[in-house]
Amino acid sequence: MSDDSLLEELGAAVRDAARVPESFRAAGRAAFAWRNVDAELASLTEDPAAVGTRAEPAALRAFTFAARELSIEVEVTADALVGQVVPPRPGRIELRTGTGTVMASEVDEVGWFAFRPLPTGMFRLYLQTPDGSQILTEWVTL
Amino acid sequence: MMDTMRDDPTLVALVLAARDGSQTAWDQLVERYAPLVYGICRRHGLAGMDVDDVGASVWLRLVERLDTIREPAALPGWIATTTRNECLRALRARQRTIPAEPDERLAADDPPFDDWLVAQERGIALRAAFAGLPDRCRRLLSLLFADPPTPYSEISAAIGIAVGAIGPNRQRCLDRLRRDPALASLLDGTEVAR
Repeated sequence: MSDDSLLEELGAAVRDAARVPESFRAAGRAAFAWRNVDAELASLTEDPAAVGTRAEPAALRAFTFAARELSIEVEVTADALVGQVVPPRPGRIELRTGTGTVMASEVDEVGWFAFRPLPTGMFRLYLQTPDGSQILTEWVTL
Repeated sequence: MMDTMRDDPTLVALVLAARDGSQTAWDQLVERYAPLVYGICRRHGLAGMDVDDVGASVWLRLVERLDTIREPAALPGWIATTTRNECLRALRARQRTIPAEPDERLAADDPPFDDWLVAQERGIALRAAFAGLPDRCRRLLSLLFADPPTPYSEISAAIGIAVGAIGPNRQRCLDRLRRDPALASLLDGTEVAR
């Protein structure tokens, strides 16, 4: 490759990077704050199943997140996010959004919890059980 | 895709450092791959908040994956695939018509995705090698690759070297750039259409 072509390709590459808005990079750097090495990650086991029809903008969906010893089942209803910890156990659960807001809710004795109103955009759940386990789900987007 | 990145020791070191909790290493990963993520969004015809949403989603998923990436060198391919999937999701969420092939949204003269990705990979390696050059070389080359190129008389005045020394310095700086190990493995004489 000649010096001229190398210089030209380098210039194009540097200009490409200069087109990326600084706010886009800043959001990327800030994402590192979400790192949590103490919690076990629960992954999404099923693709979100669309129950509604295409004409409905807020199609009903269900998700299952699986950790080693428990799973968290979540359903999207018209006005809330409801779910159950399986096998049932009580605890405290948080809904954390991509923009950094946190809603907390109690998980009752049969493992049920609910969040109202429905979150918009990306969110994840963070469960703490009385025995000290911490479960953090993958991010999902409604 | 992007298998040549396997030879990049810097990338492996950055992933391992980020895994150990280094924000600085993470920032460098973002700096390195933000143009790739952004470029894929633009190729899918996304703009404004959609691009920000896809970006946030890709970075947050990457933070999650840091501990489970078995092969750090496979990261660029993972980022490209994840970004592409998030773009398609964003398009579906907007209930726009999804073309069978994302490339159908492109202008006729845009290269196919795989070719474009290879060019991006070279761009990433070029920028990383460029960032590793001494200041003096970076300033000189920036003036030379400016569009339109800076006249030698202005370069001479801007960085205080004789007009006759610009050519030899240009060559020394480019030789140094070529010696970057990650870049050297890509510069095998082929040139890629951008």
